[in-house]
Amino acid sequence: MDSQVTIPEKHGNEATRVNKAALFYKKLQRQKILQIMALSGMVWLIIFHYIPIYGIIIAFKEYNIVQSISSAPWAGLYHFKEFFQDDSLGYVIKNTFGMSLLKLVIGFPIPILFALLLNELRSVRFKKAVQTISYLPHFLSWVILGGILTTWLADVGIINKVLLALGFIHEPISYLAEPSYFWTIVVSSDIWKELGWSAIIYLAAITGVSPELYEAATIDGAGRFQKMYYITLPMIKGTITILFILAVSGILNSNFDQIFVLKNQLNEVASNVIDTYVYQIGISQGRYSYATAVGLVKSVIAFILLLTANSITKRLNNTSLF
Amino acid sequence: MVIMRKFITAVTLISLLLTAAGCASNGKNSGSETPKPSAEQTAVNPDEPGWKGNTEPITFDWYLNYSWFQKKWGSDPTSQYITKKTGVNLNLMVPAGNESEKINTMIASGKMPDFITLDANDDAVKRLIEGKMVLPLNELADQYDPYFYKVIDPSKASWFAEPDGSFYGYPNNSSSPRDYEANETMFTSTQTFMVRKDMYEALGKPDMRTPEGFLNALKLAKEKFPEVDGQPLIPLGLHEFTDTGNYALENYLQNFLAIPQEVDGKLNDRTTNPEYINWLKTFRKLNSEGLLSKDVFIDKRPQMEEKIAQGRYFAMLFQWKDMSSQQNIVYQKDPSRIYMSIDGPSNAKLEDPTLSGPEISGWGLTLISKNVKDKKRAIEFLTYMISEEGQKDFALGEKGVTYDTIDGKDQLYQKVIDETEFDYGTQYAYFMLTDYSMWLKWAPPTKEQYTILEDWTRGKTHNFSAFSNLNPQGTTEEGIISQKIRQQWGKALPKMILSKSDEDFDVIFNDFLQDREKLGFDKVVAYQQKKFEENSAKLTK
Amino acid sequence: MQTRLRSEKLFDWFNMLVMLLICFATLYPVWYVLINSLNEGTDAMRGGIYWFPRAFSLENYTTVFKNDGLMTAFSVTVAKTVVGTLIHVFFTAMVAYAISQKELVGRKLYLIVGTITMFFSGGLIPQYLLFRDLQLLDTFWVYILPAMFSFFDLIIFMTFFREIPYGLEEAAKIDGANDFSIFVRVIIPVSMPVVATISLFHGVYQWNDYFAGVIYVNNPDLQPIQTFLYRIVALSGSNQIVSTVTGVTKTVTSQSVKLATMVVATLPIVFVYPFLQKYFVKGFMIGSMKE
Repeated sequence: MDSQVTIPEKHGNEATRVNKAALFYKKLQRQKILQIMALSGMVWLIIFHYIPIYGIIIAFKEYNIVQSISSAPWAGLYHFKEFFQDDSLGYVIKNTFGMSLLKLVIGFPIPILFALLLNELRSVRFKKAVQTISYLPHFLSWVILGGILTTWLADVGIINKVLLALGFIHEPISYLAEPSYFWTIVVSSDIWKELGWSAIIYLAAITGVSPELYEAATIDGAGRFQKMYYITLPMIKGTITILFILAVSGILNSNFDQIFVLKNQLNEVASNVIDTYVYQIGISQGRYSYATAVGLVKSVIAFILLLTANSITKRLNNTSLF
Repeated sequence: MVIMRKFITAVTLISLLLTAAGCASNGKNSGSETPKPSAEQTAVNPDEPGWKGNTEPITFDWYLNYSWFQKKWGSDPTSQYITKKTGVNLNLMVPAGNESEKINTMIASGKMPDFITLDANDDAVKRLIEGKMVLPLNELADQYDPYFYKVIDPSKASWFAEPDGSFYGYPNNSSSPRDYEANETMFTSTQTFMVRKDMYEALGKPDMRTPEGFLNALKLAKEKFPEVDGQPLIPLGLHEFTDTGNYALENYLQNFLAIPQEVDGKLNDRTTNPEYINWLKTFRKLNSEGLLSKDVFIDKRPQMEEKIAQGRYFAMLFQWKDMSSQQNIVYQKDPSRIYMSIDGPSNAKLEDPTLSGPEISGWGLTLISKNVKDKKRAIEFLTYMISEEGQKDFALGEKGVTYDTIDGKDQLYQKVIDETEFDYGTQYAYFMLTDYSMWLKWAPPTKEQYTILEDWTRGKTHNFSAFSNLNPQGTTEEGIISQKIRQQWGKALPKMILSKSDEDFDVIFNDFLQDREKLGFDKVVAYQQKKFEENSAKLTK
Repeated sequence: MQTRLRSEKLFDWFNMLVMLLICFATLYPVWYVLINSLNEGTDAMRGGIYWFPRAFSLENYTTVFKNDGLMTAFSVTVAKTVVGTLIHVFFTAMVAYAISQKELVGRKLYLIVGTITMFFSGGLIPQYLLFRDLQLLDTFWVYILPAMFSFFDLIIFMTFFREIPYGLEEAAKIDGANDFSIFVRVIIPVSMPVVATISLFHGVYQWNDYFAGVIYVNNPDLQPIQTFLYRIVALSGSNQIVSTVTGVTKTVTSQSVKLATMVVATLPIVFVYPFLQKYFVKGFMIGSMKE
């Protein structure tokens, strides 16, 4: 079915336009099956995401669950104003960004490093064992782990005992009572819990690197570190970049469960983040409109961050989401 | 090793496939029960309990807004007996997670199960009524079962009545003025001040009612018992600090100081009372002298429960019912180390505390949905549950099975009280409409480890019904202000107690008072005063 | 050459040491939970159990298994994990493959439509109303259909698909295969590492998700094990279990029941990883890619 033949020859622009349309049609014809595959995903997105997305408008309304969303009275930007005028917003934002940035700067590269080192282990059995063990803490719920950490970090807890015995400190510290320790506790316990889990995806990527590349490099006389640096790392760069872009866009998200169990009234100034703040003000009181407004602010910022990170990495190393 | 692993793989895979197949087939069979039309023909007779007229089998869905509730109707002799007797079978449903999230989505979707039980002061009650998702009980009674009026306590009904006079729910654990009159000394409170018995006695039972005595006793305890089983003693325990303050240091302490709730019909601002401030400053002093552990500010309920069971606290301002299972653990191990209630912080005149006791607003409220399967059977069953006969069935179960008349008194068999392995479903395991003052007739004697905590509250327990539910609701203007004030207080209170001097304390406290004004405290007060007057009017009806 | 060998040896030892440390640090909390769950609850309350149970007891576990609904909840979880993962991985990979094709018409639009969904959602109530209208509430499919696709996973699939040498598809196309059969017969087999990764991610998600069971399902026979766990761990459910059984001989506490419940609810999924591990062995992908 070559449609191009049936179109009569015409002059000038119109001919090229028709030609273009025909080409386009032909292209579409050719990728008919591919289009069906892609569109089925889009249909799913429309049903499960775009139909309920109208719920966002309650951020601009005074919604009360007894009425329907459409009949709720408009509130304009009231909820946004309330959010931006809150006294505690300053340190809430600072904590959110602070902890997320630390997680990004320290918590992002560590699993990569771990995956690289793991890959260098000579014994396959040991490698598998480390892999399996390191991902176990991922399955402990924060509610439980938080309770355990609270006990460990107390002034009579094991951490104080160890540090005292080693001579690092001279008198016990109640770590969760001091705001200055909070960020460190959150970031390090997060890395500790998710290290093995986050490394899985890089391990999968490393698996895809062709052994022939390594063989060739060995023949050229490259050492272990050189192979790591010149072969493995570049080969998983794509994965790293994509995950980095996604991590940057998630900077306003905190691990709610984690912070919620470790937070108390003494470390409030270092521990309250947007997510816990919204929980206190919005959700526990059923203020859906307010919670949605804050959520919307977060989404917009995250979306902008994603686009920025995407365009930067595109320019830098030619990898991007789209 | 390899064979073992292969074996496990095979077993896992087979079980996966089997269960997958099993589940796929039974995935879609809920909610298919068709409602049975009620037997409308029976004449409505106000002197005859309707539930006796029709005992055809029927199953009602009953939603309880309590995620901790785990019982299944029909799993014990008591519920089986009730189903046999009334024909009513219940399908009890509870939220598996956050309660308000669950009930709010259900309300938003517009469909509720036949019966609903939730906290009487839950915002959702108002939403259910406003959204016309529940039926007025008085209309149901008028139309189908006038005997209902013979079993209810009218003051409870009018307490929950809407301005137009109709009422939608009936409470459990509610105590009306009538109940108080009948049980003057029976009523107890859960608000207590406790000390560890062995330590307190070893210290020579010091008087802890005055700030000086309180401070000295804690100091003595710390000197004499620096450690408990190798860990430092915590001189004083409190309820947990939350983002809105500390329960033990607010109304609770004010009750101990017997600060009046109202003066000449006006609500009293108890927060600014000098006696109260004086005691808060005593707590500040405790902290500066090293008698308040940091743990008190950090620990959440699980950590506190652990420490109570370890006997780590010397004294506690803590609700005894919240630590009864820990008390029991201590008691089983070493009865001398249990906690006992004693006179705690008091006002300058050393008056008895005014502890809050059971209130008319009760605990849970039961409502009937507008989608109810069978209106007649529903209101009849509710009547049965509220009636003395129903109460007795829920409290004691079936005669000869779980209880008998012993020494002229109907009481549970000892094995039912002692036995813990098997669940008999008695003692209001199904608590939806428990009538507390009726329960007192049948309740088995309290165990020693609890009377040592409870008995102290007798005669000091007061009916504060008029002051219940004074806090404005979440999404109203006053509700939002009130919540913000409470959060401001939640920040100020620990700062006040941790401050270095009484002067610093005053500065923080005055800042809080100013913030409170700025946020619109007067609006909240106006709301509470109005609500209080409404409550008082309802109570005198 | 000699010095390099020695430094590599040194590195091997150092690496080994680091890995052992990581193993200890990550295994310890799990071990801690395990030993405390195997200890008498009342005894554990005294604290100080660090290496082995002090008063060994299985009572916490017998208390957990006394719950009638536990086995049903287990089978629901297994079913939704297996069915959900199969459908999710296949469907997401299929869409990802199509969108990863550079010449696909409308590709950019699809990507934007998808990216937006990673950030903006309508919230719980509209979602609930949608599921009600789709008749998904209180059915098994409420666990499967709303989770059968994820744009995040699609991006990860795409990243991997890009690395596949074009020659493979070309050869299949010459043989006359259409895009769908290329995806099934050529792409999936060479993408096992990423398929295993996403299966693991989604399998764990399905296993751990309690929320759908909490909000969208009333029928207790359809509730998964995690919903049960959530109720015990995060809410005061365990107090109730304990208070109904607390008697003279009982040693369980709410904390010990929580720990035991968590172990019971997570142990099965933990064992999935070792089975998937063979797909992470180097060279698996390459073998089938050699021309």
